[in-house]
Amino acid sequence: MRESRLMQLQYATAAAALVLVAVHLLMQGVLVPYSTAISFDRVLAVYKDGVDVSLLEILLIVVVAHGFNGVRIILLELRQTRSWTTWVSRGALIAAAGTIAYGTRTILLAVLGAPS
Amino acid sequence: MDGRETASNKRGVMGWLNPRHYNLERWAYVFQRVTGVGILMYVLGHIGDTSFFVGGPFGSGPDPGTWALDLSFTENLVGHLILATTVVIVVFHGLNGLRLIMAEYGIIFQKPSKIEYPYQAKGLRGLQKHMIWAAIVLAIVAGLWAGGILFG
Repeated sequence: MRESRLMQLQYATAAAALVLVAVHLLMQGVLVPYSTAISFDRVLAVYKDGVDVSLLEILLIVVVAHGFNGVRIILLELRQTRSWTTWVSRGALIAAAGTIAYGTRTILLAVLGAPS
Repeated sequence: MDGRETASNKRGVMGWLNPRHYNLERWAYVFQRVTGVGILMYVLGHIGDTSFFVGGPFGSGPDPGTWALDLSFTENLVGHLILATTVVIVVFHGLNGLRLIMAEYGIIFQKPSKIEYPYQAKGLRGLQKHMIWAAIVLAIVAGLWAGGILFG
């Protein structure tokens, strides 16, 4: 993907993250009391709610994509050789994919798994 | 590219930490990157710690036992200080990032004019400076608010 496209992606994920993180923070202590928000039953209810869990998954993808693309940009400011650019971009993509996979696994197990 | 450009860029990332000749926008640039890396570290930790809701890396479903264990590590003074600090840097990063996006798309740039002495960066006039200070102030307010919730 061209660098200009990747920067547009960075700005789009930033704008989306701004809204989603604000909602996430408001749900953790402002709209819902903090002690309630972290209780097992409340967290389970969030995972079982279709809208809430969808927002969590989108938040995961948006924030991780923005974060690892940001690290990629920082590392490319450090050096600009072709091989460095290639390996940093591949590394960021693999790290982002792995992180999203692990976070999605948590969400899927919370949604589909039976409480022990 | 044959590497000569890289060789001339000797300061690299360490150049961010050299405060000589820095103006407000330059400091905002450094903090945008430092807070970005900090937030990513927090996100990775948060994804790891919330996985204990389903028993951790080897779990198979919602588990109140491992969740209680996880909370016993995170719900304390240090954990709450990390959370409050995270709120500060997230709010600064978000609002300063909004300024950067608007600047990138030319929304908050001054109109071009003839270069006159004393030379001043156009982008730093007026609205951009106010937006940087607003990001700093609102980040501190949000951190205090979060502290009030966590320690209240």
